[in-house]
Amino acid sequence: MSRAARRRLVLTIGSPLLLLLIWHLVTTQGLVAAIILPPPAGAFAALQDMLVRGYSGVPLITHLGASLARVGVAYVFGAALGTLAGLLRGRSTGFDAVMLVPSEIIRPIPPLGLIPLFILWFGIGELSKILLIGLAVFMVMMVNAQAGTRAAGLDSLRAAQCMGASRWQVFRFVVLPSALPQIMTGLRVAMGTALSILVASELLGGDRGLGFIVLDASSFFRTTYVFAGVILIGLIGLLSDRGLALAARRIVHWEGRR
Amino acid sequence: MAGRKLLQFERVGFQYDGRDILRDLSFDIAAGELLVLLGPSGCGKTTILNLIAGFLTATSGYAFVDGRVIEAPGPDRGVVFQSAALFDWMNVADNIAFSLRCAGRPKVEQRAVAREMAALVGLAGHEAAFPYQLSGGMRQRVGLARVLAARPKMMLMDEPFAALDVQTREALQEEMLRLRDATGCTIVFVTHSIEEAVFLGDRILLLTEARRGAFREYQVSLPAPRWTPENRLHGDFLALRGQVYRDMRARQAA
Ligand SMILES: Nc1ncnc2c1ncn2[C@@H]1O[C@H](COP(=O)(O)OP(=O)(O)OP(=O)(O)O)[C@@H](O)[C@H]1O
Ligand SMILES: [Mg+2]
Repeated sequence: MSRAARRRLVLTIGSPLLLLLIWHLVTTQGLVAAIILPPPAGAFAALQDMLVRGYSGVPLITHLGASLARVGVAYVFGAALGTLAGLLRGRSTGFDAVMLVPSEIIRPIPPLGLIPLFILWFGIGELSKILLIGLAVFMVMMVNAQAGTRAAGLDSLRAAQCMGASRWQVFRFVVLPSALPQIMTGLRVAMGTALSILVASELLGGDRGLGFIVLDASSFFRTTYVFAGVILIGLIGLLSDRGLALAARRIVHWEGRR
Repeated sequence: MAGRKLLQFERVGFQYDGRDILRDLSFDIAAGELLVLLGPSGCGKTTILNLIAGFLTATSGYAFVDGRVIEAPGPDRGVVFQSAALFDWMNVADNIAFSLRCAGRPKVEQRAVAREMAALVGLAGHEAAFPYQLSGGMRQRVGLARVLAARPKMMLMDEPFAALDVQTREALQEEMLRLRDATGCTIVFVTHSIEEAVFLGDRILLLTEARRGAFREYQVSLPAPRWTPENRLHGDFLALRGQVYRDMRARQAA
């Protein structure tokens, strides 16, 4: 391992450990009440307890699975449709015009504001939770994919044309690959968005999910369980983001190397 | 073959935002000819090339290829860009075979042509490399190879060697002339280097005032094969280079 790589690894692992240490010191020196900020040991004890005994009679793995399934389904559909819509908007001025006002009106509405409507329209089952997350993912991906369609250089587009590429081939072989870096970035942003809306979506009723744990525990002031739930969501975010970043480096291997 | 007009400009005019860039420009190019467009920066060389390629459309007059008005880009006119404009997401072989892929040629043929063309431009063994793994000179070779693979009637080259060092540039000039002898392809070559113009061209158009349709024309006659480096020291080469230089300076002084 090179010096630079070792340094990077030390810093990457060191910074969360330092944060844990500060958290530990602040909470064990009696600076804050445990009900407001429990010590890390308390949060990990809660995590351990949930691993062994579950939460509210349901195994932790079931909560985890319920949340992952919601986020997963919403993410895949939202990202696929959002990317498609963004690419279409980038290629067709007509479609862009049709989508412009509706999407820009919907985009700034916070998901919490949509919850009452979604309950009214889609009930309190899985559908409304998935739609709430999916809509947010869709919006992020649409903006990024559309911006990506403008990344292709004029010379590359012209080169393709004068080698006989049809409109579709120009899109498939030049516009789309040029948009990929931005699409990959969008996928990472959208994953963060999806996880941050997970808790809100589980406000829509139900008794499964990490968001449910966080909400339920907070209403009973079981702060250590709130922290345990939040930490789990955070870890999912960390793992998925690293996975996506790694995939991006392989897929858009040419990025930044020109 | 010689003498047949492949390209004709008839009083071609072009405007950007109502400003004349070209006006009443008329010239033609015979099949198999290598015509150099020479002139100072901003005189309209790239604009002329873009009109031939079909990237731009004349605002007045007519530009014909093979007797037909140019309306859109097509594989009969291949362009080599100064920036190479390779597809960074495709390896050398896929870049070279791009026109065949677009034409729906079978994979086997694509691979064979890619290998043949890579060898032709001196890139044998680099088929699997990606453009970002190549030097500037190698990238231009790929740009050349992918156009050759499309077997165009005409190659349009916009200062393709301007960004290269002298040794690489001269090597590529000589290779290009060899390829041209081998393929008989008609070439329009844009440059602002007098040396390059005289070494490469069969004929040179010095675009003194393209805005008014004015240019000077020079016929180049140097010993064959044209790619011999010795030609760079030939008396006629030096004389013509001097003459073009004087004419260019006289224009600028006027
Ligand atoms: N997209 C554009 N919009 C407006 N004017 C333009 C545009 N492109 C070029 N021009 C103008 O057209 C004129 C000719 O440009 P052109 O690119 O053909 O010059 P050139 O001879 O190729 O120059 P160079 O040697 O610097 O490449 C210039 O005066 C330039 O300002
Ligand atoms: Mg130019």
